[in-house]
Amino acid sequence: MTEHAINRTGEAKSHRTRRRSDLPFFLVMSGISSCFILLIVLLLAADLMFTSLEDFKAAVMKPEIQSAFRLTILSCTVAALLSIWVATPLGYLLSRYRFPGRLLIDTIVDIPIVLPPLVLGLSLLILFHLPIGGWELEAWLRDDVGFPVTYRWPAVILAQFSVSCAFAVRTMRVTFDQINPRAEDVARTLGCSRGQAFLQVALPQAWRGMIAATTIAWARALGEFGPILVFAGATRMRTEVLSTTVFLELSIGQLNAAVAVSLLMVVMAAIVLVVLRVLGTGLTS
Amino acid sequence: MNKMLVVMLGSILVLGGMIWMLQSDSNKRGTPSLSVDGTEDEQGQSLMFFCAASNRAVMEQIVAEYTAEYGREIELQYGGSQTLLSQLEVTGAGDLYLPADDSYLKIAKDKNLVSEMLPIAKMEVVVAVQKGNPKSIHTLDDLFRKDVKLVQANPDATAVGKVTRRILKETGQWDALDKSTTAYRTTVTEAANDLLVGAADAAIVYDAVLHTYPDLEYVTLPEFASGTSQVALGVTQQTRQPRAALHFARFVTARDRGLVNYAKHGFQVEKGDVWSETPELSLFAGSMLRPAIEDTVKEFEQREGVRVNTVYNGCGILVAQMKAGQVPDAYFACDTEFMEQVPDLFPEPTDVSQNELVIIVKKGNPQQIAGLRDLTKQGLRIGIGHEKQCAMGWVTQNTFREGGVQQEVMENVTVQTPTGDMLVNQMRAGSLDAAVVYLSNTAGSGDFLDAVRIQGLECSVATQPYAITPASPNALTASRLFEQICSAESQDSFTAEGFRWKVDIESSGGND
Amino acid sequence: MIEFKQVCIRAGDFQLDKISFEVGSGQYAVLMGRTGRGKTTILESLCGLRRVQSGQIMVRGMDVTHWPPADREIGYVPQDLALFPTFTVAEHLQFALKLRSFHKTQIDHRVEELAEMLGIAHLLKRGIDGLSGGESQRVALGRALSFRPTVLLLDEPLSALDAETRDEIQALLRTLTDSTGVTTLHITHNTAEAAALADRCFHIRDGQVIEDAKTN
Repeated sequence: MTEHAINRTGEAKSHRTRRRSDLPFFLVMSGISSCFILLIVLLLAADLMFTSLEDFKAAVMKPEIQSAFRLTILSCTVAALLSIWVATPLGYLLSRYRFPGRLLIDTIVDIPIVLPPLVLGLSLLILFHLPIGGWELEAWLRDDVGFPVTYRWPAVILAQFSVSCAFAVRTMRVTFDQINPRAEDVARTLGCSRGQAFLQVALPQAWRGMIAATTIAWARALGEFGPILVFAGATRMRTEVLSTTVFLELSIGQLNAAVAVSLLMVVMAAIVLVVLRVLGTGLTS
Repeated sequence: MNKMLVVMLGSILVLGGMIWMLQSDSNKRGTPSLSVDGTEDEQGQSLMFFCAASNRAVMEQIVAEYTAEYGREIELQYGGSQTLLSQLEVTGAGDLYLPADDSYLKIAKDKNLVSEMLPIAKMEVVVAVQKGNPKSIHTLDDLFRKDVKLVQANPDATAVGKVTRRILKETGQWDALDKSTTAYRTTVTEAANDLLVGAADAAIVYDAVLHTYPDLEYVTLPEFASGTSQVALGVTQQTRQPRAALHFARFVTARDRGLVNYAKHGFQVEKGDVWSETPELSLFAGSMLRPAIEDTVKEFEQREGVRVNTVYNGCGILVAQMKAGQVPDAYFACDTEFMEQVPDLFPEPTDVSQNELVIIVKKGNPQQIAGLRDLTKQGLRIGIGHEKQCAMGWVTQNTFREGGVQQEVMENVTVQTPTGDMLVNQMRAGSLDAAVVYLSNTAGSGDFLDAVRIQGLECSVATQPYAITPASPNALTASRLFEQICSAESQDSFTAEGFRWKVDIESSGGND
Repeated sequence: MIEFKQVCIRAGDFQLDKISFEVGSGQYAVLMGRTGRGKTTILESLCGLRRVQSGQIMVRGMDVTHWPPADREIGYVPQDLALFPTFTVAEHLQFALKLRSFHKTQIDHRVEELAEMLGIAHLLKRGIDGLSGGESQRVALGRALSFRPTVLLLDEPLSALDAETRDEIQALLRTLTDSTGVTTLHITHNTAEAAALADRCFHIRDGQVIEDAKTN
């Protein structure tokens, strides 16, 4: 080091060559990231330019769109809540316990994610209408229970739930994998049953994961379209959700209306995502 | 822990609240269901209609008008034609099916999913271009140009693609066009959308698809002149409300109702029937056809909710009535001769069945009549149909003439009637020894009659044609009646009565 | 007070066959042996977190072999402490008592008592993020002792601490166990610790638990 102290200018030069700048790192990282961000922003901008404020207002004012909007919010929320209610215990079981057939259950849970959406919808349809020796699920539900499903709002929720729950289970499984099981063990030695250990020790730690799972479930339910179309139909004012609205408008070439509704969905999704993000960080402060 | 409980409870409350809201929304819309509990009065029940998404704009108008006029709710399910068909198959429910074009209806009919098909409009294959035709596309060769991006709808998945490929394969131009096609889209609307956003310069579509695209034009090419498809509405086989479904279907295809909307949306509509809530069809039929078609007609009336006023009589009499101005919607004659007497009224009859003449004798054949020759025996009392009044009579005369026994047999003829039934009755009463009637007339009389066939004479066989008045306001309904008459059950009726079935079902629905 | 009778445990790859040893009431036993030889496994089977193949485990003269952990009244401090991330220090100390439906006043009293004993009174309102090694150790001990168990299990409690803190905690352990009379089984690989704390010394060798002869 002493040899450099002699020449002032020399020292400055060699310091400069010796110091490794972090600038290239940030440039590369942000360069790659911003490509994606830019893509999304450009997509939205293109959509905005394609439609106009009048188109947007006209589309939003239509009673069918408003009904679809309401149904979308209700069904996505119900599907997401049901998903988290199912995914939390299932994710916990898959994470904590090695039971026979675990691999099988794991695979089964991932199937809705992998299946093409139309196949899922068709399978639901077939399930409800399969005649088993003269008995049919849909007929039984409709006539004996008084709760018809196909082509009604429960079908919308069931279709959304089938996919969003799969995603939620994945998330909760990972969440519980990351929570130290020892804490629950200790809780049990302190006097907890397994259930108490789950509720009082594991679950509070899983909070962030649950928010993430609910978010993913909600987002997935919002974007779901194929199964809903096949299983619940796209009846105006009854089973039309915003994603099917876009399809219907597109299939008669009403691109303006389709884009307007798409933008509506983007806005809606953004609001919900932000709300959930705030909830997530706020509660785990 | 408390926070957890609060959240869990809260989520359950929210869940419950939302489900309640969903259910009450659904209740507000009324509770139509997929089933009927079998009551005759179908007023309160709604119909489930599987409608291709491309027809949404025009169909919503029609449904709104229909519901306003008749109060019946129509539940519309939209989707792609193939997807809708699968749904029909799987759920076994649904009353009406409107695919993007009738090739799907044919598939559905083959699968026994659809029974009646009501035509709506014709569609032509055209080349769609952007407004103003900026690339100046006027001929088929223009599509091969390097600067023209052509998109088509997938020939394996869409009807327009199929039709295009078929036409061009025949002229040998398909491969060249295939090479010039930039992309194949899964539906015809996607192809049109490409054009709209500028991703393509030309798209081969149906003209009907373009009626919702004000910014696109189209060019008709002579090569595609034979590429027409039909848009038709199907009534399902499994519908539990056939009368209501057909009521609505007739509304859609009526020239003063649904077809008006279709025309406004730029479709080339078919002629269609005039709308009437309960149409009254008039059918003139030769009396010998009565046992064969009576039940069929009644079932038709039941299913369609229409009234068919059938007049059974000797064809000669019927022809006279028609010539005097009483024109029915359809005419089912006993023999081609009596159809050919009114050619201006019925330009395109179809031969349906055949009936042969036989000689009926008392049971046991006491006079030992074995053929035409034996009718010349002395002292026989013979009854025949009147030549002028009925086809039977006319055919009988031809037969006698052919057989070379006309003069001699006519000496034995004691009575000439307008219908074969009367002769059978007289045989029964014993006032005749023999009569020449249709084989069908002998049905049910095996206890007291024997029938002797007339061998080897072509003209002893009568051919029954069916024809519809082109100007009839119920032409479509009449043609559906014809289809019903051609159904398998009806065929059985005919053969049971002694007729021979003639018309080929595959080519029926057309006129030959 | 603690007795293993011919206990066989299979854990992962290795097998502990016919382990037999006993620790008397109030005694401080230290279990030593190379890492991975099954020391933690023995602790786990003692408090009920691991099933045994055969044999009997006796605590206070009762056969607890098939009892769930909750019933065994054994305090357990694992090697990684496994504190509850969402609980405050006070809540750690209250946890076992709340489960046993103690009165609020009783709980508060006991918490105060424990906090005094462990020297963590000033930390009661804190969450566990940012606690030092020694402080965390104290909280874990407090949690394990809160319900006055008769047996205390410690899995390498001092390994992760610096020399000074180690001495503090060592002294604390001595004081605690003397004052409460709890029977303790302490796992370590450090002979100095063993010397300082143990009344009895055990070794695991070749899948067997053998007692060392020990003076005092």
